[in-house]
Amino acid sequence: MTGTVPSGIDEISLLPGSHVCAFYRGDAGRDRLLSGYLGAGLAAGDKCICVVDSELTAKRIQSLTRSCGGPGHGGRQLDIHLPESTYLAGGEFTTSHMLTFWTEGMMKAELEGYSFFRLAGEMTWALRDAPGVENLIGYESELNRVTSSHPVVVLCLYDLDLFSGEVVINVVKTHPQVLVQGVLVENPYYLAPDEFLRSARV
Amino acid sequence: MTAEPVTPGGVAAGPAGPAAVTDENLRQRLGEFRALLVISLLMTESVSEDQILDLAASSAPGLGPWRIDGYSLTDGQWRPGTGRPYSPPSGLAGRLAALGGGGGKVELSGRAWAWAFPLRGTGGPLGHLVASSDREPSAEERFGIQVIAQQTGVAVSNARLHARERASAAELAAANAALAETVANLRRTMDIHDRLTRVAVSGEGQPGIARALHELTGMPVAIEDRYGNLSAWAGPGQPDPYPKESFAKREHLLRRLMREGKPAREGERLTALASPRSDVIGVLALIDPGRSAGSADLVALEHAATVLSMELARLRGIADTELRLRRDLVHDLLSGTDDESALIRAEALDYDLRRPHQAVLVEGKGRARAYDALLHAVRRALRQARQTGLCETWSGQVAVVTAGQADWDQVCRLVVSDLGGQCHIGVGGPCARPSELPRSLHEAALALRLQKTLLHGSGVCEYPKLGIFRMLAGISDLTDVNAFVREWLGHLIDYDARRKAELVHTLTQYLEHGGNYDATAAELSVHKSTLKYRLQRIRELTGLELNDPDVHFNLQLATRAWGTLQALYDKP
Repeated sequence: MTGTVPSGIDEISLLPGSHVCAFYRGDAGRDRLLSGYLGAGLAAGDKCICVVDSELTAKRIQSLTRSCGGPGHGGRQLDIHLPESTYLAGGEFTTSHMLTFWTEGMMKAELEGYSFFRLAGEMTWALRDAPGVENLIGYESELNRVTSSHPVVVLCLYDLDLFSGEVVINVVKTHPQVLVQGVLVENPYYLAPDEFLRSARV
Repeated sequence: MTAEPVTPGGVAAGPAGPAAVTDENLRQRLGEFRALLVISLLMTESVSEDQILDLAASSAPGLGPWRIDGYSLTDGQWRPGTGRPYSPPSGLAGRLAALGGGGGKVELSGRAWAWAFPLRGTGGPLGHLVASSDREPSAEERFGIQVIAQQTGVAVSNARLHARERASAAELAAANAALAETVANLRRTMDIHDRLTRVAVSGEGQPGIARALHELTGMPVAIEDRYGNLSAWAGPGQPDPYPKESFAKREHLLRRLMREGKPAREGERLTALASPRSDVIGVLALIDPGRSAGSADLVALEHAATVLSMELARLRGIADTELRLRRDLVHDLLSGTDDESALIRAEALDYDLRRPHQAVLVEGKGRARAYDALLHAVRRALRQARQTGLCETWSGQVAVVTAGQADWDQVCRLVVSDLGGQCHIGVGGPCARPSELPRSLHEAALALRLQKTLLHGSGVCEYPKLGIFRMLAGISDLTDVNAFVREWLGHLIDYDARRKAELVHTLTQYLEHGGNYDATAAELSVHKSTLKYRLQRIRELTGLELNDPDVHFNLQLATRAWGTLQALYDKP
């Protein structure tokens, strides 16, 4: 797929390989973004893999997207996971483990017949007191490598009521696209993974 | 913008070489400006001043090796940056005041560099953003701080504007809500007013008022008189028999309602007083066991009480007018009036004066002498005796204009039973026309006086049944009657006049009681020997033998004529 796909949010279209960081305030803002984004993916027949911060949110998103299901390919079209089995599996965060999780998820879906993938992550887990969470920004930078080599769009969700301005700054630096208040801000100067790693080392 | 070979951390570039580092630094600077743009967008969309200031302060570490120590706002408030001490650095306020609306260097303890950047909004200066660093920041870094300060000022200004608009909108919404409530209340009050006004003018009376109040409130309604008797009821659950509270409890309630001047709760009832004047009282009650009556119900109750007051005043006015008309009619009938006028006025009072009528006079002694009390007692007695008539006070007595035969002895007994003391009743002869009633009244007065002169104790004297008395009273020229009395009783009359004695009265009673000593003595309340002495004195003064039938007849006729003359001359 070379054309744009509808994001499902505020008439915004995305190119395959887009890694978008979205800022919102509160649960209602998150639900609006996630239900639109996943709903559009489900309607298009994409494989949707999503990580949310709690069981309650998982049920809410499941409910909000129930009527949006596409033709399907034999397996579950929408997978919703919690941080305990993904970002913080084993009690700590490691970038490589998480990148493997996404990659394997897409490969498995490809075997099931899906040709396009839609990934989403609620990043509130990074505020927990767990080993490795300080590598959040590095992970976001590394994720750009995955998105550039798969038919996928990725949405990372940051709650402005919880994350500081410093995180916002660093997230913007590492994301090629940022969604703020219905505006998609392009950042052609985002730090590529290698650049970010060099920048972080200095 | 000048690209510096120094990262925000002030450390030289990494292993990619000088050319690559320079390019990366440039990209990093451009990326930071994108990040600043995002921060600006986020601050602009925020409507909370605290959120904006927190976001700006927490962004600083991501933009360079500097921090925001706090904000000094024009209202004198010091707002610390994220994680900064709450108190403003000492001496800072004076320095910022000297800077006015501009920016400049400030001194902060332990900081190599500190600067106050002006916060400007659309309405003018908002204060200063105070930033500091452990080293002198580069030109790009200073530019970044300046951008943050500028965007913070604009965002705070917008937030305040929004806050004012929200406050205005909230005030407007509150004013609209209050206005809507007022309009709704007014509409409800007007509905209440309309409904009850319709009742007031439609002549539906007290049942109509109760019905309207029940319809307006949905609650059962009772209207009672001042004694607690039910006058009207509307709605379900009317008690049968209707309960009546004690006199003391009723008086207590009435005093409370008068004192408070507004409806009062009394157990399950919400009561209001309707009292157009002190002697006219009605009580309106909403039966509200659930205590659910609201302000609208209270308004309806008060309004209904006003309408009830008008109704009670109207009823009392009618009663007063009717009473006055009756009194005037009785006076005119007894004083003398033409038949046509009397009949028309009686008809207006719904009284049939075309039947034969008679005048009756009632006089009381003892407690029965209180005129008003006697009038009411006579009215009650007539009602109990099922006798219709027009009653009014008349020269210390009560005059009754009545039709048909009545048991006047029963009326007399009822009055005495009611008031105690004594009661005398004189009944005049019947009249075919109203204009004859003065004659009947004259006869009633004569009968009353004869009753008092010749008879003793309570009693009734009916003129048509007076026999010889009536015949004597009917003689127009009393000269011969006077001469006859003087012939037979002249000595005794003169003796009584000289000695203040009662020989004529003693002789009268002796003859009226058929010569019975015991009955006569009892009637005169004297001892039998006194009676015998008086009779002996009579024999000596007159020289007459009382046992002689001819003498006996003439003396009895003379004493009756004497009594009749006394009554005619009104000399008891």
